[in-house]
Amino acid sequence: MKIKLSSIMVENQATALAFYTGVLGFKKSKDIPVGEFRWLTVVSPDGYPDVELVLEPNANPSAKAFQQAMFKQGIPLAAFEVDDIEAEAKRLKKSGVKFTMDPKQQGPVKLAIFSDTCGNLIQMYQPPQRTP
Amino acid sequence: MIHAELLSRLCRARDLLRDWEDEPLSVIAVARASGLTHFHFIRLFKAMFGETPHQYRSRAQIEKAKHLLVLTDLSITNVCMAIGFSSVGSFSALFSRRVGMSPSEFRRRYLASLPEQQLPSGLVPGCLSLMAEISD
Repeated sequence: MKIKLSSIMVENQATALAFYTGVLGFKKSKDIPVGEFRWLTVVSPDGYPDVELVLEPNANPSAKAFQQAMFKQGIPLAAFEVDDIEAEAKRLKKSGVKFTMDPKQQGPVKLAIFSDTCGNLIQMYQPPQRTP
Repeated sequence: MIHAELLSRLCRARDLLRDWEDEPLSVIAVARASGLTHFHFIRLFKAMFGETPHQYRSRAQIEKAKHLLVLTDLSITNVCMAIGFSSVGSFSALFSRRVGMSPSEFRRRYLASLPEQQLPSGLVPGCLSLMAEISD
């Protein structure tokens, strides 16, 4: 058994693909039409190539209610690891991304939270420096 | 940075645009209710939610119309009024543009396959369940 797919619900799959590739820098992996929706996944060029993030439509009213409530409470629904959080935050802000938490040391990690424009807050974190 | 208080005002604005009582609120009214100037509100809303307040409200109206068409037997005219449109012509035109079929076609397509008072599964994709429907 392998961890291969994780998913995030998005308001609109087309704009989500534009944000997750054009702004965050992921690459499109699968894009298969399924009825009104798409089976749409992205991968990180810097990460493990076989781990995919599914950009799932959140047309289900229950999913939408959950997503909106979490957003309102400021709770992120996914977390991505970065090497240099300050540089990433600067880069994303330049592209117009809005942060609800600027990079901040929290215990052993540095965290920041931003809106993915698709209905979710996303956390990025920089793990503690590994000593060689 | 968007502080917690501003985040909560923007979320409240989104609720106001989506769930209104008698008729949809104007974007200016929602901006005012959020304590933001009109243009600042539009810019912030778009940066947070990926679409303008107007686009969001109109999408929410179409979503509501889809549900009413499938879950109730309201006439097309009544669905149109229920979502805050006064002209059936402009409602049908917008609906067709967004959904790719007219309100009555949409109802015909989804109503037949229904058990009872439930949205058809094609409209409520479950977690990762889309995978099961990929055809080779």
